[in-house]
Amino acid sequence: MSPLLPSLGEVWHALGDLWWRGGLGPELFATLKLVGAGLAVSLVLSFALAYATVLPYVRPIVNGLSKLRFLGLTGLVFPFTLATGGGFALKVALLAFGMSTFLVTALARIVAEVPRARFDHVRSLGASNARVFYEAVVRGTLDRAIDAVRQNVAMGWAMITMVEGIARSDGGIGALLLAENKHFRLAEVYAVLVVVLLVGLAIDLAMRGFGALACPYARYEARHEDL
Amino acid sequence: MKICNVHTSREGTVVLDGVTFDVDAGITAVLGPSGIGKTTLLRIIAGLDRPDRGEVKGVRPRDVGVVFQNYPLIRHRTVEDNLFVAARVGGLDAPRARKRAEEMLARVGLEDRATFYPAQLSGGQRQRAAIAQQLVLPKHLLLLDEPFSGLDPGALADVCELVAEVAKEEGHAIIVVTHDIRAALAVSSRIVLLDVPAGARGARVVAVHDAKGQDLEREITRRFRRAA
Repeated sequence: MSPLLPSLGEVWHALGDLWWRGGLGPELFATLKLVGAGLAVSLVLSFALAYATVLPYVRPIVNGLSKLRFLGLTGLVFPFTLATGGGFALKVALLAFGMSTFLVTALARIVAEVPRARFDHVRSLGASNARVFYEAVVRGTLDRAIDAVRQNVAMGWAMITMVEGIARSDGGIGALLLAENKHFRLAEVYAVLVVVLLVGLAIDLAMRGFGALACPYARYEARHEDL
Repeated sequence: MKICNVHTSREGTVVLDGVTFDVDAGITAVLGPSGIGKTTLLRIIAGLDRPDRGEVKGVRPRDVGVVFQNYPLIRHRTVEDNLFVAARVGGLDAPRARKRAEEMLARVGLEDRATFYPAQLSGGQRQRAAIAQQLVLPKHLLLLDEPFSGLDPGALADVCELVAEVAKEEGHAIIVVTHDIRAALAVSSRIVLLDVPAGARGARVVAVHDAKGQDLEREITRRFRRAA
């Protein structure tokens, strides 16, 4: 291994230093707060837009919005700064935008794939349009929607370094990583990366657990794809 | 109830070209080759689609129950909840809906599967639960779309027995749409054959039989083979 790269012992030592003296805990909390806020905004926007695609005239609008995922965030910093005033709000807006363009695409596809017979079945019971929508779309696709959110949270988590690098005043694990990287403190950089990886895995695991808890039926359906 | 001169087309192709027949109490099987338009006809009778011309007389959509072939139950609800929801949207209050759901589950012999999800049931159990869901509230007409498809002989016999029982005890009219000739003959009192006769652009009723037996099965099979 290259002598430039830190040993496992050095990374472990750096991790301890960062945790006890370098403020890794508060930085991590700041990042989780940012991801939580970005995710909340993204969920509200994406679910509202995706569910609205049951109305045919909304579909082209959502389709157009989903194309914005190819835009990238760099050029958007200036207009978003003007709109939000910078700081935490700017980072939330960038993160929410980055996640929403992908999430709304995935959710709209899930809604489009609900078979017509599912709507018809609930309608045949005498249900109102709102009830048909709730049973066939909202609850009927919840397992797949949670899975889509899980994938997008992973994407948002991976974007965190870039987003926190844009406005570093609020700190965060991404800002910490960039600061350590700037001074070429590789042991600290890898220590932060280990934390990023472990927290990312923990979030993913928690979301899987939530999905299994909220949609226990999904695990029985692997053998019955037609249901 | 009467299906009167129903015409419909899909993407420029005529599917039903003047389908007419009467439906009485008891079980009517609508037989026809795959793709002839049986499910289209069922959707029109259920009020889910409108025909281009013609009408369904003598029944309102809210008095019609439908058991769909591939999506007979709400996937994210337990069997008992499926029945409960049907009773609730039909207007029963929660305690009465719960009681009715339990009664119907017992009626179809699925009380020990009350907490199961549809994906945990066998094909026959799913069909029984779906029929129970449609019967939670009084209906005048029950439509079953390919209810025998994919069932093993035991489950097939079970479902046939239940359908016959429902028709007899509740006095329902039941329309079974199927391409399973043997099951249709076993369960129904009347057979309506759909086919595209010479000179027609879409499916019509080509024969109505009240009789049963070996000869009829042979005749229908011969007709379908010719159509294929």
